[in-house]
Amino acid sequence: MKKILFSFSVAMVLVFSLLASGVMADSHMAKVRVVHASPDAPAVDVYVNGELTLEDVPFKADSGYLDVPAGTHDVEVFASGTEYAAGEGVLQADLAVEAGKAYTVAAANTLDSIEFVVAEDSMEVSDGKAKVRVGHLSPDAPAVDVGVIGGDALFSGAEFPGITDYAELDADTYDLEIRLPDGTQVLPLEGTELAANTVYSVFAVNTVDSLEVIALVDYEAAESPDGMPTTGLGTPNESQAMWLLLGGAVVLIGVSSLVWRKRFQQ
Amino acid sequence: MSLLLLAGCHQSVDEVSVRSENVGFTRTEPVSVNVAPAASTENPINGLKRTGIEPNFLKIPAIDVEAQVQHLGVTENGEMAVPNNIEDVSWFSPGYVPGENGRSVIAGHVDGVDGPAIFWDLAKLQLGDEVVIQGEEKTLTFKVHTMESVPLDLADVTKVFGYTSSPELVLITCSGTYDFDRGTREERLIVYASLVEE
Repeated sequence: MKKILFSFSVAMVLVFSLLASGVMADSHMAKVRVVHASPDAPAVDVYVNGELTLEDVPFKADSGYLDVPAGTHDVEVFASGTEYAAGEGVLQADLAVEAGKAYTVAAANTLDSIEFVVAEDSMEVSDGKAKVRVGHLSPDAPAVDVGVIGGDALFSGAEFPGITDYAELDADTYDLEIRLPDGTQVLPLEGTELAANTVYSVFAVNTVDSLEVIALVDYEAAESPDGMPTTGLGTPNESQAMWLLLGGAVVLIGVSSLVWRKRFQQ
Repeated sequence: MSLLLLAGCHQSVDEVSVRSENVGFTRTEPVSVNVAPAASTENPINGLKRTGIEPNFLKIPAIDVEAQVQHLGVTENGEMAVPNNIEDVSWFSPGYVPGENGRSVIAGHVDGVDGPAIFWDLAKLQLGDEVVIQGEEKTLTFKVHTMESVPLDLADVTKVFGYTSSPELVLITCSGTYDFDRGTREERLIVYASLVEE
């Protein structure tokens, strides 16, 4: 199984294609979601580029997606209520994000060795299908499989700290479990309903003796139009006059044709 | 005819463009976070998805708006479709449903041929104003958090109609000066509101 643990040192510089349909509005924004997955860390404040962005985030909480400009951002984590001082946080990273993409940034591991785990999130799913991936964010838990109870593994050998690729499945209800590679059940997830057109992340968190999961929806599909609506029927005076002129012309033509018709009828 | 030509020389103020000249605000306080419910025996994956309501009626008390909501898709050229009258508003029904995660979008005209239309006063909305959506069996209240007037070429359609991790409502009308070549105003006034949790 491929881990997609991103390296912060890899600068993901976006080059906007100037060839792409002229001045068409390109999205310059990325989405970032922060998850507190460090079991013994206190609630935290998250500063982005020195600004308080998330306040008092407890263990197992997530921020939902925040819109951030594409580029590199200084993300720094402090124990909740601590006064901000650049570089003094319990965790700091320069996070590079590309326009149009979405990311999960999890603060993982125990407090004394807290680290960021970053993954790119999927913002697409085949029509009628469900997509799911798992994250192993339990610092002392062994490698696990996630699969159907009594059946095949969907994800094999997930290790801390890692987030798997997505698997696309039929939308359905599944009796899943987290288990050791030898088949011993670690956590049952019976009756898991995976809805159509929906992308899920399931993160195993906390220490192995109290393992639990955080489930998040990454994306739900819907259509969008190609262009903004045209929401004004009126026009300022200049063109109202044009319409009046046109209207006048139509009236004149109408009247004159009436006159002609009358003449013909006579 | 000469009278009409004279009328054409008369310059008066284009009120829509004046109104939308310096609009815009956004929420500045830190974003609230979703706290996972305490560990329960329930499967945490189930119940993640929210269900919304198909909107029938829109109310914006702060600007005395009460409007029927039409359910429309796209026009022939792919734009979001709008009502062909000035009293109704339209919900982009192929997009997100109000109350689901994601941005559900409602558009209305700012003016008609003879004057103000349903979203004439949209630019007067302020941070925290309420927008009420009535469906068949349920009513949802949203609170305005951001307003922007965006040049048409810079409007990020995929963002405005895009996915968010919480239910959002977007209201759109025309703004800016009139572009006679394009036959529409140069900007769009976009108001973002978030669901008030019950």
